[in-house]
Amino acid sequence: MQKFLQKVITNNLTRASMAHFGQSLKPPVRVAITGAAGQIGYSLIFRVASGEMLGPNQPVILHLIDLPFAMTALNGVAMEIQDCAFPLVQGIVATDNQTVGFKDVNYALLVGAKPRGPGMERGDLLKDNGKIFTETGKYINDHASRDIKVVVVGNPCNTNCLILANQIKDIPKENFTAMTRLDHNRAQHQLADKLGVHSSDIRKIAIFGNHSPTMVPYIDQMTAKNHKATVDQQWVTQTFIPTVQQRGAEIIKARKLSSAASAGNAAMNHITTWVNGTPEGDYTSMAIPSDGSYGVPKGLIFSFPVTVKNGKYSIVQGLPISPFYQGLLDKTIKELVDERNAVDHLLK
Amino acid sequence: MEVQQSLTVCVTGAAGQIAYSFIPLLLSGQVFGQVKINLRLLDIPKMETALKGVVMEIEDCAYPLIGDIQTGSNPKELFKNCDLIVFLGGFPRLPGMERKDLLQKNANIFKEQGEALQEVGKEDVKCVVVANPANTNCLILSRYATKIPRQNFTCLTRLDQNRAYAQVALTLNKPLNSLKNIIIWGNHSTTQYPSIEHATVEGQSFVLPDQGQFIERIQKRGAEVLNARGNSSVFSAANAVKDHIKDWYNGREDTLLSLGVLSNGEYGVQSGLCFSYPIRCLGAFKYEIVGNLQLSDFSKQKLKVTEEELIQEQGLAESI
Repeated sequence: MQKFLQKVITNNLTRASMAHFGQSLKPPVRVAITGAAGQIGYSLIFRVASGEMLGPNQPVILHLIDLPFAMTALNGVAMEIQDCAFPLVQGIVATDNQTVGFKDVNYALLVGAKPRGPGMERGDLLKDNGKIFTETGKYINDHASRDIKVVVVGNPCNTNCLILANQIKDIPKENFTAMTRLDHNRAQHQLADKLGVHSSDIRKIAIFGNHSPTMVPYIDQMTAKNHKATVDQQWVTQTFIPTVQQRGAEIIKARKLSSAASAGNAAMNHITTWVNGTPEGDYTSMAIPSDGSYGVPKGLIFSFPVTVKNGKYSIVQGLPISPFYQGLLDKTIKELVDERNAVDHLLK
Repeated sequence: MEVQQSLTVCVTGAAGQIAYSFIPLLLSGQVFGQVKINLRLLDIPKMETALKGVVMEIEDCAYPLIGDIQTGSNPKELFKNCDLIVFLGGFPRLPGMERKDLLQKNANIFKEQGEALQEVGKEDVKCVVVANPANTNCLILSRYATKIPRQNFTCLTRLDQNRAYAQVALTLNKPLNSLKNIIIWGNHSTTQYPSIEHATVEGQSFVLPDQGQFIERIQKRGAEVLNARGNSSVFSAANAVKDHIKDWYNGREDTLLSLGVLSNGEYGVQSGLCFSYPIRCLGAFKYEIVGNLQLSDFSKQKLKVTEEELIQEQGLAESI
């Protein structure tokens, strides 16, 4: 029986002070972040707490979850959140107990995962994380709010999400997604840089597939400042795709630390877009349960171009897939099918 | 939405930890609203590669509000055309270092940066000094950049203020926004005086069950977080920098705020010292020191202690 520590700090927000605040505040929502004592957690938690993810009228109760050995550090994080005097934070739950951690949670950003150690095979990584996400899936099914929206960030995120969702019986499967927004944002910048525009001027691009070196940055329908824009194919295959694929490694080389800030930013963007919707005339990338679109086997957690409205995403259908893109899609599908096979014993 | 205006903001110590947490806040729109931010990122030559990594990550965040980015190690290059400079970079305290050495090493840095400001800085550039010893670094900076108005020089005590609000809210079990006018006086150090003398909760003045404990806790909170996290207070510091700039720029009607500013002798404090005072932020980077609050003997005594420390620091720093 594992000992557990938990600390619950609550500030009560009375009706009187809501009026005093001068804004109409919504009822609070519970946001859970796993791996909360880690680096991505550090970048993510504070921006969520400041109201950036869900807006200035949405109070949050933070559920910060990590492993037992990280509880002291997690309490330090909780102290710092207090020291920020965030008006929107109505409570902080810091725990290593997933029953407490996921109780009534409305949004979960699952950053925590087992990292790849030296000499570790991808197969081992899949199996070890498989155990973690099987457990978490059960806790979410049994304790979270029935409307919970989940984004899996910890890698291998697509297959971790698959394993997690496999444990879900009582919550819609479409609520379980994985993050490819970081690849999307990276691609957006690379294209903007090449075309000499601002990254916010690039629209109608998407990431297909696995969050891995096989991910497919689809730019066939790309617009820059609302005009169709093309870039030469050689640049795409020789520079663009490798740059986006290897960006993470490049940043580690420069910083000697992984890309925590941009990963945390992308996780936040993923949820914000899921809640607020995509801009008119644009789409985003989310790894979601495949419904068979684009020949992707049903049930795989696969990144697609999606539009989002009223808290629901829809795959953008009918985008032209050239032989070039089909070849890339086949590779990433195969990789995800292989990953699924490797954890088959967890999916019974 | 077309973003028309832009501001040029320089961050020193840009490859460091506080910058890593601060830059996303600066680019989030929470400080200046829908204004494009041109970034100037300054750090020492040794950090050039790390700084490249920081820039890559900024790019990978696809911030709508990012303008152009320049990096470098020469303040005479990077301070040009800046509207705001956030001084995060300073000499860290190494094991075995005397306070005197820390003060003098930092004084050298801020002398150089003050001279750069004097040479190339915009006349009206605004400065926020965060690197410790923040107050004395701010004083040195202002001494060497005499063309810039005195009121443009500020240092950060907003972290202490935010901590004080949090502790009072927890102690009284009241929401944060019911509290006003908790003030940090003096030096951003263990002699700071967190005062509730003029503070209110739901419009009423109040006392704390153990004022001495409250004061000490705020003074030593940095160490408390360090012991728990195994690392210093990075994000809460970055957040406080964001709050300081946001309120200084936008103004705050509902409460007085704590900023370290150059004293004109208010409350009998030696003129020219950088001292944290109760400030009314009027908007558009304008503020006034509220100089007419009645102070108890207890408060006056506390002010004397922190002023004394600042005078000593000034002496040590100026012996360079």
